[in-house]
Amino acid sequence: MYIAGIGIIFSRGRGIESFSHALQKGWKPPQFIEHASFSDKPIPLYAVDQEFIMDKAVLGKSRRADRFCKMAVLAAWDAVKDSGLSDVLLNGSMSPGEDAPSLGIIHATALGPHTTTFRFLDDILDYGEANVSPTAFSHSVHNAAASYIASVLDIRGPTITVSQFVFSFHQALLLAQSWLEEKRCDFVLVGSTDECGQVMEYICRQKLHIADDGRIKPFHFSASPEAVPGEGSVFFLMTQEKNLPAPARYGEVYEISLFDHQNEEDAPDICLIETDGMTGDETACRNDIIPGAYVAGYSPLFGSFMAGSGFQCAAAALMLKRQIRYACPVQDNPYGVNLCTATEPSEIRTIYSFRHCCGHKKAVIKLRR
Amino acid sequence: MKKVAISGLGVISAAGQGISETLETFSSGRRNGGRVSLFPTALSYPVFEVKKIPAQWHKEGMRTLSLALCAVNGALRDAGLPDDLSRLKVGVCLGTTVASQLNDLDFYRAYRKTGKAPMEPVNRFLEGNLAEAVAHAFKVQGPSLTVVNACSSGADAIGAALSWLRNGICDIAIAGGADELNRVPLCGFGSLGIMSESFCAPFDRERSGLNLGEGAGVLILESDEICRQRGKTPIGYLAGYGIAADAYHLTAPHPEGKGLEAALRKALAEAGITPDEVCFVNAHGTATPDNDKVEGTLLARIFGPDIKVLSTKGYTGHTLGAAGGLEAAFTVAALREEWIPASIGFVHQDSEIPLAPVTEKTPTEKGYGVSTSLAFGGNNTALVFASAFSHRYKSRTSPPISHKDRSTV
Repeated sequence: MYIAGIGIIFSRGRGIESFSHALQKGWKPPQFIEHASFSDKPIPLYAVDQEFIMDKAVLGKSRRADRFCKMAVLAAWDAVKDSGLSDVLLNGSMSPGEDAPSLGIIHATALGPHTTTFRFLDDILDYGEANVSPTAFSHSVHNAAASYIASVLDIRGPTITVSQFVFSFHQALLLAQSWLEEKRCDFVLVGSTDECGQVMEYICRQKLHIADDGRIKPFHFSASPEAVPGEGSVFFLMTQEKNLPAPARYGEVYEISLFDHQNEEDAPDICLIETDGMTGDETACRNDIIPGAYVAGYSPLFGSFMAGSGFQCAAAALMLKRQIRYACPVQDNPYGVNLCTATEPSEIRTIYSFRHCCGHKKAVIKLRR
Repeated sequence: MKKVAISGLGVISAAGQGISETLETFSSGRRNGGRVSLFPTALSYPVFEVKKIPAQWHKEGMRTLSLALCAVNGALRDAGLPDDLSRLKVGVCLGTTVASQLNDLDFYRAYRKTGKAPMEPVNRFLEGNLAEAVAHAFKVQGPSLTVVNACSSGADAIGAALSWLRNGICDIAIAGGADELNRVPLCGFGSLGIMSESFCAPFDRERSGLNLGEGAGVLILESDEICRQRGKTPIGYLAGYGIAADAYHLTAPHPEGKGLEAALRKALAEAGITPDEVCFVNAHGTATPDNDKVEGTLLARIFGPDIKVLSTKGYTGHTLGAAGGLEAAFTVAALREEWIPASIGFVHQDSEIPLAPVTEKTPTEKGYGVSTSLAFGGNNTALVFASAFSHRYKSRTSPPISHKDRSTV
């Protein structure tokens, strides 16, 4: 299946050009957030600035939506716009006698709109069980974001939200592939969103090794890796339609492997290693490096989050489309792997994106030009 | 299109554990509801609790997972499959709402008060992702997906598993949904003003809202070929799945049921049947004024006013993420048993709904049964099931869906 458009919102901006710009400019330190529970230790966080979520034109129908929903709506909207197919997909402007293609949504998240869930719990604790806000409740369900996307983009096709801690984005992509194969729809918006509210900052500090210098070090392959929590949303417009307009030619996801993946003899041009400190021991990730391939990892640009694999996939798609190899934003390289150290034009045909979990489970997304 | 067999059913709800006990409850017309006993609450809405989860499946502080494990085990036994599934190409696709949220009130109260909180509830939450935890418990090596589509989660999990099987992603799928009775939805649905102070009455003129329930409903789905190769006779078939968004409102259904109509037509088209071939519809039927009016009107328009319709929520309450799984299992069981239970709670015909559900245990033919689910977020889902021995459902493949049909979904 082909990637026809990408929409993204992350700590450094909104839109694929912002992401491209970040890839070119390299690492920037995260924000350091003062947290009442850890007065001596601010928490590094790749937070999405509120200014990036302000778009009255797009969000008019979702003005009551929470931050989580708004990030997802904007990323989904931008993915369609980026494809250059919005007239066809959103406005249904077809030639006489032609029917508009159908569009589905698969939204992946690990933690859902938890800040709204806690706001609802505030209501229960502060006002009692019988005096809670129905708006907070209706927005606390995980599929509220997909509902807003459907409403804003007027999508009436299949709409599913999935929630996993392990390989959430990969599972969503796999289902999208099935939907397209079955012709359940012609295009699928597949995306992942997660936010990091104050309670989650506390949990991250308790559960993870936080990189107090703000630098995720993807190539340390450590048994106790360090994380810098992040947040954001990324959506891909996927289709089996080969004949896409030029802006929509990002490349093809030709395999999603969730189990028993064996490295092949043919090396890809680039191995993307998603080592962001979120899923424990990363020592086994070194085995993913395929001799002859460049190695890269871009999580230091957007932070660590469980459903964040989509961001890595967006970097891969951009590299394939623009035929540019982006320098790794953090290049600490104690094992001397063949890192992408400079941003430069390059002939890139295939990229494998690896994600490990708990040291033994592995998922791979394979992309090609 | 690959024919997908159902080889096992597992259920647990206020109506009983296992299909036999549940059918007995249905047959007797008993309603095992009452006040909330699982946690202290000032709210007096009647609910449908599961009174006993077998100790073997009880996980402290993880009630949704406990319910799911119990139902999955029942379904695996029914399907003649082992506890250890590591040698088979199996996937797990389960729907839920409550288990996907970190909503532990004690944890949050402690955090608010002191800025610190114990991590046990967080650990339970992280270990309790439904599909991941079930996959771990039964050593499943294939894909695992937790669907969180609010009240259609269980039905959509079954639909997603159908896609996996048709595309060869797995040979066998454990699919359905589970949800516990929890304070958050109890307060939330209360705040929306859609909970009844008495036992719910789906499709009744005097209906005053839903009752919450809890439970788990699981189907074992597999390719017909694999099922027969291992010497198992299918209980029935999953013939069609339709899903469509209203794109209308976060909590209210589209007033004309546009999304539900699209979902139903898609599911029927996939099954390759016309509405007149459907023997009965196990409706979502929550007993809220809006849902039942929209759903009842649409079902009458598509299937005719004489279609046999029921809602089982009068026996189980609205089990949220479990509802689609439970009702799918009840639909398959009804096709096998050739009867549907009385749609308990219904007494008075509503002049605004041009059909009436069945009021007594009613015989049905072998053939097709439909289960519908509507959800927060405007999602609509329809599943079409076929009897195992229906002469009509052989290896018929559905006709190609026209581009026009797809575009209207």
